[in-house]
Amino acid sequence: MIVLENVSKIYKNGTKALNDFSLEIQDGEFVYIIGETGSGKSTLIKLLNGEEIPTKGRVLVNGTNVGRLRFGKVPLYRRKIGVVFQDYQLLKNKTVFDNIAFALEVINKSKEEVRKRVKEVLEIIDLANEFNSYPTELSGGQQQRVVIGRAIANNPSILICDEPTGNLDPRHSKEIIELLEKINRSGTTIIVVTHDYVLVDTYKKRTILLDNGSIVSDDSEGGYIHV
Amino acid sequence: MFRRIGRAFKEAWWGIRHHRAMVFSTVVTISITLAILSILGVLIANINQITYDIEEEIQVFVKIDNDVEEKDIEELQLKVSRISGVAGVVYSDADSELTYFIEQYGESGSIFEIYRDDNPLSRAFIVSVSTGFSISEVSKQIGTLDGIAEVNFGGFAIENFICLLGGIRKAGLVLALAIIPLAIYLIYNTIKITIHSRREEIGIMRLVGATNSYIRIPLVLEGIFIGIIGAILPCVGTVFGYQYFYEQMNGQLISGILKLVDVFPFTLYVSAILLAVGVFVGLIGSWWSATRSLRWKR
Repeated sequence: MIVLENVSKIYKNGTKALNDFSLEIQDGEFVYIIGETGSGKSTLIKLLNGEEIPTKGRVLVNGTNVGRLRFGKVPLYRRKIGVVFQDYQLLKNKTVFDNIAFALEVINKSKEEVRKRVKEVLEIIDLANEFNSYPTELSGGQQQRVVIGRAIANNPSILICDEPTGNLDPRHSKEIIELLEKINRSGTTIIVVTHDYVLVDTYKKRTILLDNGSIVSDDSEGGYIHV
Repeated sequence: MFRRIGRAFKEAWWGIRHHRAMVFSTVVTISITLAILSILGVLIANINQITYDIEEEIQVFVKIDNDVEEKDIEELQLKVSRISGVAGVVYSDADSELTYFIEQYGESGSIFEIYRDDNPLSRAFIVSVSTGFSISEVSKQIGTLDGIAEVNFGGFAIENFICLLGGIRKAGLVLALAIIPLAIYLIYNTIKITIHSRREEIGIMRLVGATNSYIRIPLVLEGIFIGIIGAILPCVGTVFGYQYFYEQMNGQLISGILKLVDVFPFTLYVSAILLAVGVFVGLIGSWWSATRSLRWKR
């Protein structure tokens, strides 16, 4: 469960990103976070990812106060959440298999564990036939699926996606959302940060609209107010 | 554990292969730095040897006043030996002095045997000093004692020579210590470039929960490898270069008194030190760079 209690974030340059922000996301939910540039979406991801510390308030993820995590504990925390960014961030010199395996190798999983889990993930992301391909040989949608595969390799309870369809055409965007729904069905909480309103309108989920660091609307049926 | 070590070595080697140009220039500079260090080490060791040999050779010749009675000699010897900087005092009676004098002239010296019954030479103390720097001061203090007729040492030239050697030794040490930070800084920059070129990979590592030590260890190993590679040429150069120099000089400098340090095991010790310095600068430079680059990012 994710709980943000009266969270404010003011950067060193004085920018107010989040303003007395409170939010609760239950386990297994699928949530869109939408809003214009500068609304606080990226800061929210950084706070959930442990990359930034709130200026005020608490960020609790599965009972862990993320803002209070000691420096050395942050990597261990990150193993429990998956993050996907818009730019695919794949290692071009590694195959699909190796890119996914990378997430398991850095946490010292055995070769056998890595092999087994990567095979499972390749099935989930429907790229079993492309395991030996390099990222440059794949389409944008396929690359993004590999990134999602890498993010779920550790079996995270939460998957945070920052504009996962930002660089994709509608057909590939649909594939990505369907993949995320599939992952969500297995119990993983999915948070999709986007400003792709077409996507939000098509695949109705709980939708939280941000503006100027505050929640403008939060609708479990996928409704939102046009700002 | 072994898997982790294996990965760290593999990645460190990858870093070296993928930044060949930068690594090459750093290795060359480290080699030059260590070669300078080697030359300074050889110089300092040989100065130590020469200084030691000179100090072993130089003695203060102290003539005892003829008025001093035989029974007071022992007490006077004790007084001399108590002077700071005196390493040893040997008493030589007038008869021994004459024998020594005759021996110095070889076969023709026998003509001085006629003085055996009416010996004009004085009794003396042969004083050895603990360091060459103190010879004039020791001589001066011995001269102030009652019962001493005359004090002779090799002259200020020897003392100045020893002082000069001491000065060169100190300057060498300072220079050697000054160039080590330069080598560290070079490795620091190389690793910084490695980190920059691998920023994407490091970013992903962070994203999926790699610890800082997991990211840092291959980088530190890379620095150590660069240090070791940089040390190889100076080590080989030290062994063969010094051997060549030693043979050319017949193991001595100017005269037989100034002997050079033997090639073995001396050059092996210097090589071991160079290798250790290579590892040290690699370790410090890369650790510093990796720590600085990774520190401020959560």
